[in-house]
Amino acid sequence: MKLKQGSFLWYLYLDKLYCLLSVRNVKALVQYFHLLDVHRKKTLNDVLFYHFLHHVTDLKRNQITIVFNMLDWNAVGEIGFDQFYMLVCILLAQENHLEEQFIFRHSRPVFELLDLDGELKIGPSNFHMYNFLFNIKKQQLRDLYHDFDITGDCRLNYKEFKLFTIFSMDKYQESQKAVKEEKESSAQK
Amino acid sequence: MEEKPFKALAKSSGHRGSGKSSPHDIRNLWTTATLSQPKLNVPLPTVREDSELEGSSVGGKTRWSYNQKAGHDSDGGWEESDDGEDKDNFKPEELDEHALMELEMRRGSSLGGPLEEDDSKTDSEKPSSVSSLNISKHTPHRAYWVEQQSRLPLPLTELMENEALEILTKALRSYRSEIGRDHFLTKQLQRYIEGLKRRRNKRLQVKVI
Repeated sequence: MKLKQGSFLWYLYLDKLYCLLSVRNVKALVQYFHLLDVHRKKTLNDVLFYHFLHHVTDLKRNQITIVFNMLDWNAVGEIGFDQFYMLVCILLAQENHLEEQFIFRHSRPVFELLDLDGELKIGPSNFHMYNFLFNIKKQQLRDLYHDFDITGDCRLNYKEFKLFTIFSMDKYQESQKAVKEEKESSAQK
Repeated sequence: MEEKPFKALAKSSGHRGSGKSSPHDIRNLWTTATLSQPKLNVPLPTVREDSELEGSSVGGKTRWSYNQKAGHDSDGGWEESDDGEDKDNFKPEELDEHALMELEMRRGSSLGGPLEEDDSKTDSEKPSSVSSLNISKHTPHRAYWVEQQSRLPLPLTELMENEALEILTKALRSYRSEIGRDHFLTKQLQRYIEGLKRRRNKRLQVKVI
């Protein structure tokens, strides 16, 4: 998934530690949402939502539909600002390669988004469905279920998922450190 | 742009001075006295955080902490401040403006530059109006760079409106094809788009002029 260069969202950025927008960015986002809220219901319906996402990203129609169904957690057929804000944070996390950090920092809301059925457990199909958003690769998924499915039911409850996010975060930080050390050693040479 | 800080100071001094003449004079002296100090002990980031995030009540508290420290550094005399009353008199916007203004003053004095040079010549005898004019020379530039550092483009409203127009124009086509031209939602969207276009055209006309 890529954000369209020069679009309004492209200019926003997440705080790298907490993976959230600053107050100033949220203020601008509220204004933007207000502009798109044509019917003055403080929501976007599926048509407006589709055209918005189609305009600012390279997502396909079926992917946009999946995202809409994921965010419409009250099943009212409309997206409010809370869900819109969540989506923007997810998009920006992917755009800026902060997926691991985002999932680590916001493991609970991400788990609830992935848990479409509300069973408090997520299977491989849930991950696979949202792979284009959270960028979890196939090998990572296999490792995930091999290493963290403690209960052995081929599904992850929240605690198992949280362990996975901590592990991914550690791995990510180690890889960042290795990259940094490599850069420093090549600079010294 | 230069008038605003002057007005803010004038307003605030008027409010602060209401009913009490001597604190008003002392405050003016304090204001000019601090300009002569190249470095101040006030921790800028925490103060700014307070005044930005927590609104007028902390803006008042911020001023109180300034006054206390300044009082301690210079006169050491007046520990009481009129902030308790002034909080009620001040409007939130004025307090924040004033807190920001003082912040800009401190930055100017701590970073050095022409402001500091002026202060070395005439210290406490400089009238506050002149000092505020000097400050206002630097404030617009600093605000501009702060804006730049936020990474949002300056003509932000224009960008948002143009993008919203493009999105909504495509949405209108979908509305027409799916629910028909005569549906009230289609008409509402059409009216909204026309309103946005009118607003954009007005803005473009103003720019051209």
